[in-house]
Amino acid sequence: MQSIINSILKNRNLIIYITLSLITFNSLYTNSSVHYNAIGKTGTYLSGKTSVFSSYINSYFNLRDKNQILIEENLELKKIQYKYNYETQNLESKSLESKSLTNANIILNSINKSKNIIVIDKGISGGINEEMGVITSMGVVGIIKSVTKNYASIISLLNTDLKVNAILKNSSTIGSITWDGLNSKNVKLNDIPLSSSLKIGDTVVTGGMSFYFPKGIPIGSITNYDNNSLEGYYDIDVEVFNDFSSLSNVYILERTDNEEIKTLLND
Amino acid sequence: MIRESIRNIVFYTIILVSQLLIFNHFNFFDIINPSVYLIIFILYKISYSNSSLIFLGFITGLIIDLAMQTYGCHTFATITICYLRERIEKNSFGVNANLPSAMIKGTRMINRFIFFMLIIFIHSSIYYSLVFFNNELIGKIFYYSLLNSIVTFIIVWVLSQLISNN
Repeated sequence: MQSIINSILKNRNLIIYITLSLITFNSLYTNSSVHYNAIGKTGTYLSGKTSVFSSYINSYFNLRDKNQILIEENLELKKIQYKYNYETQNLESKSLESKSLTNANIILNSINKSKNIIVIDKGISGGINEEMGVITSMGVVGIIKSVTKNYASIISLLNTDLKVNAILKNSSTIGSITWDGLNSKNVKLNDIPLSSSLKIGDTVVTGGMSFYFPKGIPIGSITNYDNNSLEGYYDIDVEVFNDFSSLSNVYILERTDNEEIKTLLND
Repeated sequence: MIRESIRNIVFYTIILVSQLLIFNHFNFFDIINPSVYLIIFILYKISYSNSSLIFLGFITGLIIDLAMQTYGCHTFATITICYLRERIEKNSFGVNANLPSAMIKGTRMINRFIFFMLIIFIHSSIYYSLVFFNNELIGKIFYYSLLNSIVTFIIVWVLSQLISNN
């Protein structure tokens, strides 16, 4: 307390000066229209600037909530898109009608191994089961490998063990997508016969002939191909649409008729 | 002591009245209105309190503002030079700043010139900045400040020499 009083006494001239200056400026502000307008303009400018700044800060702190809202909204739009495709263009199989989507956040991801695995924050309690397909708004991500109560692991498309049925969107030629373990941006499209016509830039989508993905989900586009193979098939490089190094959110596809198809195959 | 106080009050009253009745209506070239009342703060004895000087500046500025309808421009300029006076004095006179009549005698003329000019020019700059209150008129503010400072300096200097001789 004593030090505060000492400090006030030491700076009394400054305190008196500031107080009297404020009284003077108040007089200027209230009595002179020129100063009223000028100070008013400055006040408006400052309040505008500070409002923008506080709005930036608030929007930053609200990003997580906004992101969650956008994910939910995107999920609903995806469902509507699939339903629309089925009803109007009949692009996808009967199984799509009974398919539903669930969203999940990625908590672990790798791209620098030959057998890359992704872990998500939803498990059995979130309606996730083994062998479900995993996508993003950009395209295919992988397939659910194993599930615990709250978590699930995904075999990434960047895993040398995974093989995904695929077709060329323009010609509907059937092939399969695999990864050679070299570049996280490129995968290989195999089993496309040399008799098929293709060009660089053609889009590759899922073929629909698997338990995991319906027909038409994007995978990537052709960046290079070699037609000098002696085996009668192209050697095609496909650049994937997904950037696996920055994945944060995925959608899990549920196909309720998988068991029925499996039973049919077993019989 | 009483005689000194009476002499100070009379001096203050004469300067203030002449400022209000004569110098405020000077209007030389429609620009120059010398602030002769600054002599009060220039000749203010350093043995008195600096806080009292700031209050004195506030009251003087307020009276002139009320008379001239300048709403506080004189007051702010005056309290600012009263607050800064101690520092200006030390910078102008150096070690001689402690002399009781450093402002009028016992010091070099160049030091007194710097001291007078700094106080007058700072006051004029603040006053005209507040009067025009527009950064686009900075040239005009400088021009008005300079002309008024020169005329004010001449009058204040002559008056201080007369006081010194008496």
